[in-house]
Amino acid sequence: MSAITPESFSKRSFVYRQLSAASFTEVAGAAQAADLKNGRNQAMQAGLLDLSVLPRTGFRGLNAAAHLQAAGLPVPAKPNQASVADSGELVLRLSQKEFWVLGNLADEGARIDSLNQQPLPDSNCYPLYCQDSHAWLTLTGAHLPAIMAKVCGVDLREEAFPLGSIAQTSAARINVVIVNHQINGLPCFTVLCDSAAAEYLWECLLDAMGEFGGEVIGSGALS
Amino acid sequence: MKIMPCPLNGPRNISEFVHGGEVREMPNPISCTDREWAEYVFYSDNQAGIVTEWWLHAASGYWFIAERHTVTDEIIRTYDPSEIFKERVEFSAEPATEEVSA
Repeated sequence: MSAITPESFSKRSFVYRQLSAASFTEVAGAAQAADLKNGRNQAMQAGLLDLSVLPRTGFRGLNAAAHLQAAGLPVPAKPNQASVADSGELVLRLSQKEFWVLGNLADEGARIDSLNQQPLPDSNCYPLYCQDSHAWLTLTGAHLPAIMAKVCGVDLREEAFPLGSIAQTSAARINVVIVNHQINGLPCFTVLCDSAAAEYLWECLLDAMGEFGGEVIGSGALS
Repeated sequence: MKIMPCPLNGPRNISEFVHGGEVREMPNPISCTDREWAEYVFYSDNQAGIVTEWWLHAASGYWFIAERHTVTDEIIRTYDPSEIFKERVEFSAEPATEEVSA
């Protein structure tokens, strides 16, 4: 059996060149870094995980909330809040009328594909293609606010930025969307940034994590 | 750093924002004169005192309106544009006019 590499697929993560040490599994028609010879203990300490190949989608417009509700997804009550669907998707409300839905690793984001195949409301609901425009990096572990404080001016400590919060701000001088959530009980900050700046932010986050013993982790370290 | 209160995202560093010019009433592009349109598009009042301006929070792509004192640079109030713009502005196609021959 030949090993799976990012180059085996035409769909690749924006930071696949940074992941040469990883072993990969196939997820959603691309290579997902699964193992970097460290496990859940590293994820609990400080980990940086690339989930860019995992499906995600978005909708904008007056009827976007109704479209998500019809699809059985939870709609956060206010902008800059995130909800978790029963099936594990993250629903982000980025403004009154804009929503992103991030796929669940457990089903390889299959529900996003079915959501994208559902017909849109007749008016006032437009699809957003955040799959290709944004990279999806997830920080894990016990030091998330302290790590982000080195690159971001917004207070991301628990008192000001509780679970389910979203901050749209600037980190390392590029625009990011930061989401506070959990995967299998593991504290996570998901960082969505412009895909063209992904390699830059990847290095910045790794540098910021250095003093906390941070390392790149694979998706296998989450379970 | 100077802090701007964004109506959507809360207080943020001013470096996250982009200035978008004065909020002013758009003349009817079909019936106004060229001079009125040029004044609307190109000229600003640049007054000393409290002005109403468009600002963009670049990280979230969110446009809002701020009242700012141009002498003290104090931000008095920021709010969602829906307070002023209650409905979508539609542009009707201009009826075809004869080309002016040279």
